[in-house]
Amino acid sequence: MKVDAVNSKQVEQFLTFELASEVYGVEILKVQEIRGWEPVRVIPNTPSFIKGVLNLRGSVIPIVDLRERFSLEHTEYTPKTVVIVLCIKHRRNESFVMGIVADAVSDVLDIKIDEIKRAPNFGTQLDTRYMRGMHVYKQNMIMLLDVDKLLNPDEVDDIEAISDIGSFE
Amino acid sequence: MKINMPITNNEVVMKSNTILVTRTDLKGVITFANDAFVDISGYSREELIGSSHNIVRHPEMPAAAFEDMWRTLKQNRPWQGMVKNRTKSGDFYWVNANAMPLFENNAVKGYLSVRLTPSRAEIDAANQLYRKINAKEATLHPTGLAAARKFLSEISLGKKLAIACTLLMLPNILLLRELLSSESYLLIGALGVSTLIAFWIMAHVTQSTRNFFVSAVHELFRLSVNEFSPPLNLTRNDQFGDLFRGIYVAGVKLGDDIAQAKQANSNSLRIIQGLKYAECSILITNANSEIIFVNQAAEQLFLRAEKDIQTAIPSFSVQKLLGSPIDIFHNVPALQKEALDKLQDSKTSQFDLAGHTMQLTVKPVFEVNRERIGYVAEWLDRTTEVKIEGEIEHLVRAIKQGDLGKRINLNDKNGFMKSLSTNINELTDVIENVFNDINHIIAKLAEGDLTNSIHSDYQGIYAQCKDNMNDAIVKISEFIIQIREAADFVNTSSQEMASGNNNLSNRVEQQAASLEETAASMQELSSTVVSNAENTKTATVVVKSAAEVAEKGGEVVKSAIAAMQAINESSNRIAEIIGVIDEIAFQTNLLALNASVEAARAGEQGRGFSVVATEVRNLAQRSATAAKQSNELIQNSVQEVRSGTAFVNETGAALMEIVDSIIHVGTIVGHITSASNEQSAGISQVNQAVSQMDDITQQNAALAEQAAAGSMAMSEQAAKMTHLLNFFKINGKSPAAFSAKAKLATSKPAANVQSAANSKVAVNASFDEWEEF
Repeated sequence: MKVDAVNSKQVEQFLTFELASEVYGVEILKVQEIRGWEPVRVIPNTPSFIKGVLNLRGSVIPIVDLRERFSLEHTEYTPKTVVIVLCIKHRRNESFVMGIVADAVSDVLDIKIDEIKRAPNFGTQLDTRYMRGMHVYKQNMIMLLDVDKLLNPDEVDDIEAISDIGSFE
Repeated sequence: MKINMPITNNEVVMKSNTILVTRTDLKGVITFANDAFVDISGYSREELIGSSHNIVRHPEMPAAAFEDMWRTLKQNRPWQGMVKNRTKSGDFYWVNANAMPLFENNAVKGYLSVRLTPSRAEIDAANQLYRKINAKEATLHPTGLAAARKFLSEISLGKKLAIACTLLMLPNILLLRELLSSESYLLIGALGVSTLIAFWIMAHVTQSTRNFFVSAVHELFRLSVNEFSPPLNLTRNDQFGDLFRGIYVAGVKLGDDIAQAKQANSNSLRIIQGLKYAECSILITNANSEIIFVNQAAEQLFLRAEKDIQTAIPSFSVQKLLGSPIDIFHNVPALQKEALDKLQDSKTSQFDLAGHTMQLTVKPVFEVNRERIGYVAEWLDRTTEVKIEGEIEHLVRAIKQGDLGKRINLNDKNGFMKSLSTNINELTDVIENVFNDINHIIAKLAEGDLTNSIHSDYQGIYAQCKDNMNDAIVKISEFIIQIREAADFVNTSSQEMASGNNNLSNRVEQQAASLEETAASMQELSSTVVSNAENTKTATVVVKSAAEVAEKGGEVVKSAIAAMQAINESSNRIAEIIGVIDEIAFQTNLLALNASVEAARAGEQGRGFSVVATEVRNLAQRSATAAKQSNELIQNSVQEVRSGTAFVNETGAALMEIVDSIIHVGTIVGHITSASNEQSAGISQVNQAVSQMDDITQQNAALAEQAAAGSMAMSEQAAKMTHLLNFFKINGKSPAAFSAKAKLATSKPAANVQSAANSKVAVNASFDEWEEF
């Protein structure tokens, strides 16, 4: 990748991954780590998109299945399935670590900010706040996600509570 | 003076205890006569009422007697005397007559005569007296000295007392005169006072006695006008009191009698009213058999029959019935006087009266002392009933004899008889309809017409009869239809059989010819079989060498399979190794990505590192791609080896089957050899059989001809039967239409026969088959 000629303020790096044969992107700076899929500890009585928690070098992080979060078709996990550990900020501007399950990681892309298309407005009825924008790359449309808004504030609270419990252990 | 003539010397003696009563007006005209008077007088009541009373006067009665009677009555005094009366026929009878005026409101309104039965002595005395009077030897009233004595003795009570007083006073007056002369004035005074007292008492007694008699007489006259409970002084202790009490008792008793008489009268009035309006017709006569009562029903009965009766008895009239003698129906034996006199109890008889059938029940009526006082006759006009009885009997006899056309005429009937007659007519109607229907149906049945049925509505046994009849006809119709169908079927079948048999006969002849050809063919077949046996021996040798070659092929296939197995195992191993490489590439890629992440986080300082990480990631991806391709190739080769192994296995199995088949062919060739030998033996047996078949075929030809002739005869019989059955006419199916239908029905089962018999093509085809055989 050639990044030298580009002003760093105008270029942002995105980690792209596949989900149900579509490509999504997250800001690389929000990514803490990328891991292969390994079984998680199931937490009962949680929303179905929360697969459970994972022990990440001593800290307990919640794992969210983005397929289920986005109401996509559910598939079995494969050896290609990865967990992308994200460090997100929620409303109190506190950082919070969680993992999302993706079908596969694709690439790291340098994207000019002015090449990011505004996400279409579907009205207030549809929750598209988690969309940061769209980017066209080699005829593919990559949906860039705003990971801070990936979850509702209430959900973040709930999930944070789970990870807090894990922290006490 | 009225002289009633003639007279006879026959005396009619009054029965004892009989009272003859008449009433007349002031002129002596009879206004009432009781039964006993009417009875003894010999006149009818109509003749008596309104006639002068002298209608019964006997000429031998002295006129002076009647003059005396009238004179007495005009003085409002009762008259009593013996009277000789004359009956209508001229006979005479004596009565003890009592005549008196009848008062009403203190005025005389008429006269009442009550006649009692006289004793024989009285009759004789009176007879003698009247004879003397008529001969002017005696008078009715005493004359001369006797008259003076009578006058004196009947001077009124006061006068008699006055005379007595005067006579008593004479000595006193003489004594007074002596005393005056002797001037003894005290004595004169005493005498005068006592005399005056005596006078006063005398006068008082006379006065009260006179008043008493006046009031007693007044009361007695009041009794005569039915005024009872006289206001009398009943407490007097003297003889006057006794008399008052006697009058009072007599008056009360009289009142009681009259009340009882009234009671009895109203009782009988009720009964008479009841009888009057009773349903049955009743006539009542008195002892003289005169009709004295006709009730309404009887009046109407005779009014209805009046015209008819008048043809037989012209004098008959319902108006005149009352008062007529009962033997006005002079031709009725039960009502003749002799028959009535003998009658002791009720007697019922039936007779014809001028075309009316009358039922008459006569019963005598007796007094308490068994004296006959009349008759009760109950009439019943049974003309209509008898007529209807006759009509019904006539009708029933006609029905018994099978004549159902007769009916009872309803025009002259009403009420119960009309409804009875209507019911009987309806009964006859029903029976007639039933028999007409059945008769019609059976007559049609006899003509073979089965299209009729009974449609009328009946009930009970008639309805059962109707249903059974209709069912029977339906059953017979069905039966005949079935017989017809059967007959038609037999007809067509026998015709087809006949043609079939003809065909059979022809074929059998052809069969005989064919059998000769068969015998020749058999000879040729025999030589062919011998050469077959030779060829099979050569075939056995060839088969054996082929089996050896095939077994060698089987060995080669087995070693090829083992080699394939080894290749397969090596391929699997390679695939595992490639999986490891792929795993390493994946992990490398992840590591490189993490490195990129770290580099990004390091910002400008990590940019070089980021480039390296990217290069590493590219390498990892390339090795992953290479591993993937290798894996695909190895998978393909494993697949190819597998299918090759399968082919080799199939080849091995095919070779084994070839070996088996060749061995099998060897055995079959052996069998063919032995079979050929048996065939040659069989063919000689076939030859023998063919000659037997030839004989049998000849016999078959003869039998087929006989069968054809039999079938033709059967066809003729069936046609006759169909013709006979056409005699029956069946509902909704003409015989022609039926016959067509029967043919249609039979065409299906006969199809096989027909196809052989009627179709030329089929015949040709069967000939071809025959020739082939």
